[in-house]
Amino acid sequence: MTEKLKHSSLPVIAAGYLGPALVPNADGAWEEAKLPANPDDLVQKMMGQPMRRAGRFIKLVCCGALACMSRVPEETLRGRSIGIFLATGLGNIDEILPFITQVFKHDGGFPSPNQFANSVSNAAAFFLAKACGIKGVVLTVSQEELSFESALWLAQGYLASGEIDLALVGGCDVFTPSVEDYRERLNLVPGRCRRAPLGEGSAWFLLGGDGEAKIGDILSVEISSGLADAESLPSDDLLKQCEKLFEEFRNNMESPDNGANSALLSFPRKRESRPSDGLVDSRLRGNDREEGFFEDDKISKVFLPGFRLANLDEASWKKSGWDMDDYLIRCGISSTASACGLARALLSRQSSFLVHGNLSSSGRPALMSAVTK
Amino acid sequence: MRNGNIHIRGWGAVTALGWGADQGARRLIAGDVHPAGVCGSAHLVNREFKGFEVACDGNPLEKAMKMLDASIAEAFERGGLSAPEIAESALLVGTTGGIFIRNEHEFTESVRRNPGKESPPIVCRNRGPGEVADVIARRYGIRGLPMTFSMACVSSSHALVVAADLIAQKRIRRAVVVGFEPLLNLTLQGFASLLLYDPDECRPFCNRRMGMQIGEAASCVILEESDSAAAGKSGFAFAGGHLYNDNKSLTSAGTDGEMVRGVVSRALLKAGTEPGEIVAVKAHGTGTRDNDLSEGRGLAKVFEKHLPPVVSLKATIGHTLGAAGTVETALWLSCLEAGVIPKSFGFAETDPEIGFAPSQENLPAAAGAYLFTYFGFGGTCTAYVIRKMAS
Repeated sequence: MTEKLKHSSLPVIAAGYLGPALVPNADGAWEEAKLPANPDDLVQKMMGQPMRRAGRFIKLVCCGALACMSRVPEETLRGRSIGIFLATGLGNIDEILPFITQVFKHDGGFPSPNQFANSVSNAAAFFLAKACGIKGVVLTVSQEELSFESALWLAQGYLASGEIDLALVGGCDVFTPSVEDYRERLNLVPGRCRRAPLGEGSAWFLLGGDGEAKIGDILSVEISSGLADAESLPSDDLLKQCEKLFEEFRNNMESPDNGANSALLSFPRKRESRPSDGLVDSRLRGNDREEGFFEDDKISKVFLPGFRLANLDEASWKKSGWDMDDYLIRCGISSTASACGLARALLSRQSSFLVHGNLSSSGRPALMSAVTK
Repeated sequence: MRNGNIHIRGWGAVTALGWGADQGARRLIAGDVHPAGVCGSAHLVNREFKGFEVACDGNPLEKAMKMLDASIAEAFERGGLSAPEIAESALLVGTTGGIFIRNEHEFTESVRRNPGKESPPIVCRNRGPGEVADVIARRYGIRGLPMTFSMACVSSSHALVVAADLIAQKRIRRAVVVGFEPLLNLTLQGFASLLLYDPDECRPFCNRRMGMQIGEAASCVILEESDSAAAGKSGFAFAGGHLYNDNKSLTSAGTDGEMVRGVVSRALLKAGTEPGEIVAVKAHGTGTRDNDLSEGRGLAKVFEKHLPPVVSLKATIGHTLGAAGTVETALWLSCLEAGVIPKSFGFAETDPEIGFAPSQENLPAAAGAYLFTYFGFGGTCTAYVIRKMAS
């Protein structure tokens, strides 16, 4: 059984993430040695005031989400009911650890009540809801390295049901010393994960609406029930699955009424002839039924490998026309790094078909596909 | 979103009342309940707190995992789930502490084994709340989507409503919903730091109430779409529910009762149920001043002069935090199956600000709609309706 989000794409109205040194939407090499980063200046800048009693997790959740929401015109939000779906693998660990250390150090005598209140995992979602003026569906979802994929899958259902108009979906995890402990919490085994620095981050997406002003679409989220192994999941099998997703995307472009969400129609389609639209015009050069149609028209295929995909035969992927976006060197490894990778790709790549792939530690493959405008 | 076609296939619960929902229900009905005792588990650093512990030999980590196993096995057995049915189920877990008990147990063992030495720093090896679902999925071969909600005291009640929503959306056919909350230093000390404990007993809705008491529990409730072959065998349907998050206060649901009124009203609407149809209310009833005031006033606003019997279970099993949703549902269903709405324990005097007394006698459990309410940190609130079918 595979849990799918299919034929019901999610328009991405905006995306935002915290890049290296916690600079919103900035690209650059990630430096593990600078962990944990201090978010206080960023909080002051983005929230307009300090969050003195909040820990780093709460601050990163709020700042990452605001990096996304600040890009959304006010009229897009007016009168809309918005749900929050916060994904986190490790939760509010930077509040829990000092609290429990105090408990054991003093035999339970002097822990801070404020620290305890903030250590509850959904405290971060509360502060975010408060900052954005959101009430209603606010969920904190945690499923290790597939937390973000699960939250995205869940949000799609609430959007489709009409329970909410828009979904603010994001992933956040924070580094807590030591490096060895953090590696253990992430269940990172040498040789069974990609070579990348340890990381932390907060990346968010505002999804939904009728697609009038979007930067792309989330096309599918597939979390497989079939168990694989990080060492044994054949790179070729993964490539075939990605090619299949691309094929489905192409078919939906060709036959938009065949179950595809109408939001996709705002993307140029193969059979459409609109001479005034230069982009579409260029796509119709030559034989538009040939295999290389999308490549000819500069829609590139990009694969974003999650941190458990250790052994990919990158040469064969490139031979099949896939670019490899090794985003982990830009945000480091964290449970919800996939959100950072996807947000960065949606913001930085145009006319691209994106697939993010990862495995859970128990071997569930998960694929997310998206397309950028 | 209406959830009218979902039935409850099975349930199980391990609480201070016993290793099974039926055993717990029998003790509730018989009045064989005891106030919270001084917690004695080996991993607790402070023995001054009273709580509701599950009786068990063995170390606290082993006990916690046995509790988890027993509650799930009870639910599977009651529902008669086959191995393929288990495998294809989705798994939704509600927990706040996850398997943090492992860290606490390892730390205290390390100290015990090295007397006279300086205590080592506590090491956090757990992989976050989602680790519980991973353990369950591996143990039982569950291949459906796992998803964990870590949302304070509404963790598993939210998980139940989300499960019902996913079934109504036709995205899953069956959900195994688990609540898991072992007794932790983290939570005992945390609520103590907030001065939220009643040092004597838990007294929900009572004018003499002084706070809550913690309990440990594991529990499981299985929801399934109603066109399955097993539909209706348990005699209970999940009629509908509503989850809501306010953003006014991190720690209070608002003592004017407005938020509670709104959430309960919305849940009734989604369940297609009029207030007058509610046979009884399984209230959250923590025994804290603010919570009981919020809930009491909210319920009074919804039901006005026709308030049905209101029962809190927390004087008998404690506040089981993230597990409260599935635990209290499982115990309640076993009581209803035995034909009884249990009385509410720990009450002595009506609070004039609330204006009603919780139910003080066991009542016959008629067929009809029963309301369940839960509130938690972060402005969270869940309400849902379960219907007992006429036999």
